[in-house]
Amino acid sequence: MLRFTLERLVGMVITMLLVSVMVFLIMELPPGDYADRYAFRKYSGTGVNVTEADIEAIRRDLGLDKPMLLRYFDWIGGIVLRGDFGQAFAFETSVAKVIGDKVWLTAGILFSTLLLTYIVSIPIGIFAAVRRGSAVDYGLTVFSYLGLALPNFLLALVMLYFANRWFGADIGGLFSDQYRDASWSVGKVWDLIKHLWLPAVVLAWSAVAIQIQTVRATMSDELNKLSVTAARARGVPELRLLIKYPTRLAINPVVSTIGFDVNRIFSELPIVAVVLGLTELGELLLRAYLDLDMNVAGAILLMLTFTIVFMNFVSDLLLAWLDPRIKLGA
Amino acid sequence: MPKMLTVENLSISFRTSEGVITPVHDVTFGVEAGRTLGLVGESGSGKSISTKALMQLLPGNASLSGETRMTYTDKAGKEIALGRLKTGSKELRRIRGGEIGMIFQEPMASFSPVYTIGNQMMEAIMLHRGLKKRAAREYAIEMLNKVGISNASARVDQYPHELSGGMRQRAMIALTLSAGPALLIADEPTTALDVTIQAQVLDLMRDLQRDLGMGMIFITHDLGVIAQIADDVAVMYLGTIVERGPARDVIRNPQHPYTQGLLDAIPSVEHLHDRLKPVPGDIPSPTARPTGCPFHTRCAQAIAGTCDVTAPTEVSTIPGRAVRCWLHSDKDRNAA
Repeated sequence: MLRFTLERLVGMVITMLLVSVMVFLIMELPPGDYADRYAFRKYSGTGVNVTEADIEAIRRDLGLDKPMLLRYFDWIGGIVLRGDFGQAFAFETSVAKVIGDKVWLTAGILFSTLLLTYIVSIPIGIFAAVRRGSAVDYGLTVFSYLGLALPNFLLALVMLYFANRWFGADIGGLFSDQYRDASWSVGKVWDLIKHLWLPAVVLAWSAVAIQIQTVRATMSDELNKLSVTAARARGVPELRLLIKYPTRLAINPVVSTIGFDVNRIFSELPIVAVVLGLTELGELLLRAYLDLDMNVAGAILLMLTFTIVFMNFVSDLLLAWLDPRIKLGA
Repeated sequence: MPKMLTVENLSISFRTSEGVITPVHDVTFGVEAGRTLGLVGESGSGKSISTKALMQLLPGNASLSGETRMTYTDKAGKEIALGRLKTGSKELRRIRGGEIGMIFQEPMASFSPVYTIGNQMMEAIMLHRGLKKRAAREYAIEMLNKVGISNASARVDQYPHELSGGMRQRAMIALTLSAGPALLIADEPTTALDVTIQAQVLDLMRDLQRDLGMGMIFITHDLGVIAQIADDVAVMYLGTIVERGPARDVIRNPQHPYTQGLLDAIPSVEHLHDRLKPVPGDIPSPTARPTGCPFHTRCAQAIAGTCDVTAPTEVSTIPGRAVRCWLHSDKDRNAA
């Protein structure tokens, strides 16, 4: 297991390096750079005639005139060595300041959504497989299709309405008014948790629908395995048998797609965030792209991809733990 | 000898999308303590599901007929009606494994691939022998030794995929026997193995059965294997027992045309240049069970107007033996 972990760890670091190169290239892809944008913004409508030389001067000021390779090493070096993501041009401050708390709030939403998805879908999927063909099973299938068919933002609106009616007014956003600008405390964390469940439910909804069907399908296969009958034939109590034998293998496809889930949740987040009035990174990423504010965009992309790569690493370890045969093929 | 297991009028039906099928039809058999009953038949003859019914291992769409009686006498001498045990009851779990053990055809598939051999053995030992973890592990190693697995104390921590096919089946035997069953059901335990390994495993099973004084039901499609291991034999065709009796007698002097066909179908080294003689025709689908004698569609000696109309009843022409066939019933009727 140690050897396997180390191999995967090395693999993860290499992947992260390659990913950082790709992120940097993506940052370079849009035509023009922040120097153009800055000149346009500062001087448009002022009647000042901006020459190519002026833009070149701005470019030099911002350090955008250096060769690409050099800028890549400056950028990644700053992140790795000093945790410095560079300057957020459009905000005229550092990226770290712009992103600030949003990282943790986004991570909070991401992980609570993941957790909720698995806590709900795995037991229900197992139950549906065990009771295959029953009314409950068919009911869950209908729910699954509903889950897949409903757009997130609509669900968010509906939930917002009902949450408002049943639980009192202030449910949008991630904090109550009294905590919004307060410094971190136990009360603030609790307040955050009280607000997190709503976006988590909205974002988890479709994933739960998919994963229920995944778990139900693999669990149905596993339940028919001879090893399950054999275990039953030696008198293992049913509940223990279900958890120990078929479930362990049935959650394999769920575990192996953790990385995809992270990506999907992040992509769906901005729309839901707009409806629910959340502060998170997705919307900031869009704005950074519009402004050609590459350091901000790069920082967000890098964090997202690193999270995905890291979660893939976690899912590899989990898979190896779930199924010891996997280590052989490593 | 007292019977440890009696099964009477066992009929099993399945609800399927094509309607109700009854792959096991009014089957009666028994097992005596310390003896081996061989159940022989082609695939789909209902051998496996008959034994699975004993331990309530059939899928949810299966049901037993009202006339079915399955009585098992446990190690303490208590009579238990197997069909009446509640699902999930402690009594049923005690019977499963602790009183009646089961070995399956594919040793690879009957172990879970994600737990070590030892883990799965210790589970059974702790459940049925009430031992603590450490003692259960010792016992597992002892059992692995007993079935001829070398270096058992290392093997116990290996996963099933790290063992060869023959070793796996030995380990499965060790696992099943470690729960201490009085009756062992072996469902084609050697079919998936190489011939040489097959012989070793058969020898092992026979020896263990004698040493432990267990009753055994040995399911196979191979009458050659029956000759080696079984005391009594019951030949099944399409869910009914067509012939039964002491194994040697049945093999030397088969009465039912189906048994004769099965024996003729065994390839022989002495007749290398002859063509093989399979039993002609295919097993009819369980959804289209023939009227009358189920075998008449493939039987060379079928009597038109009799065999395809009425099902024969079981008659005993030779003491200790029974056959379900009009060819013999006629003689019987004439004699009477």
